[in-house]
Amino acid sequence: MNVIETKNLEKVYDGKAVEVKAVNKVNLNIEEGEFTAIVGPSGSGKTTLLNLISGLDSPTAGSIHIDDTDLSTLNRKQLVDFRLKNIGFVFQSYNLIPVLTAGENVSFIMELQGRDKHETEARTREILENVGLADRYHSRPNQLSGGQQQRVAVARALASKPRFIIADEPTANLDTKSTENLLDIMEELNQKEKITFIFSTHDQRVVKKARRIILLEDGRIVKDEQKKQ
Amino acid sequence: MIWSIAWKNVWRSRKRSLIVISAVTLGTIAGVFTSGMMNGWVNQRIDAVINTEMSHIQVHHPDYLLNNELKYTIPNYQKVITTLNQNPAVKQISSRIKVTAMAATSRGNTALTLQGVNIEDEKAIRDIHEKIVKNGGTYLGTEMRNPIVISDKTAEQLRIKSYSVTSETIDSLKTLGVPENIANKTGPLKNKRFKTEKLYKKALEKQFTKKEINEYGHHLLNAAKHYRLRSKIVFTFNERNGGLVYQTYRVCGIFKTNNTMFDQMNAFVLHNDLAEVADFEDKEYHEIAILLNDNEKPEDVKTNLKKTFPGLSFLSWKDLSPETALMTDFMDVWYIIIIGIILMALAFGIINTMLMAILERTKELGMLMAIGMNRKRVFNMIMLETIFLTFVGALAGMVLGALSIFITGKTGLNFSSVSEGFEAVGWSAQVYPSIGFDFFILVTIMVVVTGILSSIIPARKALKMNPVEAIRTE
Repeated sequence: MNVIETKNLEKVYDGKAVEVKAVNKVNLNIEEGEFTAIVGPSGSGKTTLLNLISGLDSPTAGSIHIDDTDLSTLNRKQLVDFRLKNIGFVFQSYNLIPVLTAGENVSFIMELQGRDKHETEARTREILENVGLADRYHSRPNQLSGGQQQRVAVARALASKPRFIIADEPTANLDTKSTENLLDIMEELNQKEKITFIFSTHDQRVVKKARRIILLEDGRIVKDEQKKQ
Repeated sequence: MIWSIAWKNVWRSRKRSLIVISAVTLGTIAGVFTSGMMNGWVNQRIDAVINTEMSHIQVHHPDYLLNNELKYTIPNYQKVITTLNQNPAVKQISSRIKVTAMAATSRGNTALTLQGVNIEDEKAIRDIHEKIVKNGGTYLGTEMRNPIVISDKTAEQLRIKSYSVTSETIDSLKTLGVPENIANKTGPLKNKRFKTEKLYKKALEKQFTKKEINEYGHHLLNAAKHYRLRSKIVFTFNERNGGLVYQTYRVCGIFKTNNTMFDQMNAFVLHNDLAEVADFEDKEYHEIAILLNDNEKPEDVKTNLKKTFPGLSFLSWKDLSPETALMTDFMDVWYIIIIGIILMALAFGIINTMLMAILERTKELGMLMAIGMNRKRVFNMIMLETIFLTFVGALAGMVLGALSIFITGKTGLNFSSVSEGFEAVGWSAQVYPSIGFDFFILVTIMVVVTGILSSIIPARKALKMNPVEAIRTE
């Protein structure tokens, strides 16, 4: 079953001299439970494609369907609400709220969703345990290593029970050990919980783990490879 | 959680927040203390108007007020008194004869209103007997024939007051806390008599520096002051039917209030002494002063009395002293103006701080908007943060301001160096700041409103952010 479907997706930026087609007629289907890496050189349109899929940016042409919802039919408020309920984000530089503890960073998104306090508390503890940080519930981000912070970011992305998680260069700031640890956790979540992951990455370690690799060049998909199980 | 994040964000840049909070605290202290001082002054003035000068309500013959003609005494006096005595709102009444007279001594003369009063009624309704100055004799209850209580100002005008430095003066200065070297500097003035305050002040200016006069001038004046009690004053005035009569009074007491105007216009004598010469019968009075149990009720009681006695004039203290009434009514506006100006000035600092905070957190705000925090929540978070920042400072300012009012309300603030100016317009040179609880509610509301208004510009800036660009910010 397709979770994400794009048709002739285009994003054009007006440069000073010339127009830049960051995404050029991209047709993409991502199914539930995929563990997909979007790779390509810098400026190939990976981040722009992820921004379009997540509704953070609007396409110049083409359409994006998430399940049965056409994102172009949603206004700004509906898009914010849609992201809150359907998409989990993991950013390159973690982007945790520094004044909140690890537990609060995770539970915050559930409170935004209006979930029950007890449910929020229980799920926060469960997710932190899943990412191996049960004992760091009360730690502030500045008391955690980069790898631990990124695991909290993954926990936060999972907390909202999203349809899929978008991770933009999630391992770019991590050392080898932390990267492997994070990838193992995400792979486990993907396999056990059937959570769909879409990465943009340069990192060969991520590419190695991914089961589907989409290569972008100049905004176009030039290769879409499904690894054998 | 939004409340919690907003509160924690306030302390994210501790030093910067503390600077803003300190500015708000100082501004609030200034506003609270200034308002407390002003309120204290107004309350003291109201107290003086009611308890010293006018009472809550005065009753007159309506025509008496036009030209103070003596023949216009209060009609149906006994019925009015009976009614007032039966009125539960009335605490005390005092009846007076009032005669405008020319006072003369061998050294000076002045015009005065002689008030013929009954001692006990008068003592119960106004506090002139408590305003007798040091070494200024006693109130009317003496064995002296035709006693009169005049003011310090009148004593000066009639040259009953003089200044002289004696050994006792120097001793008394020392007991008042004046340093010995300063007290001893009065030596060259010893055994000289100065007929007026002006002459004595000139002599002091030659002996002392300006700083010493500013600091100890008040004591140097008071300690050297002498009243010639039992002095005779001859009064000339019209009796009831217009004939000119003379009467001699002897000074038994000198009073001083905080209102120079009142002091130099009024002198108090026994009702019987004045009534006899001015040809008034028993139960003939020009004025009945009424003191009520409740300060808030004069207008209601006045209206009811007017209905009962439509032929009489009833004036409340607000009618008799409209400038004081105006000040009372103006106080609420004053609070809003003074606190408003302070908060408005502080608002610019708060806006600046919040804009810096928003700029620093661009990436974080972008992330929050990306993961699903809607515009309303972002706005609320920034607004709460601004309100907290403002309110913490204001709360500290209110507590410290209230504390300063509490302390100075007990000790008082002395402006004796400019007392003449204050007292010329009826204001006390010694002010006891005070403020009501409702003032703090008003300040709290204004602080919250300032916080909300100050948050608009930073919040708008945050809401204009594009999450995609904001997240990319380094």
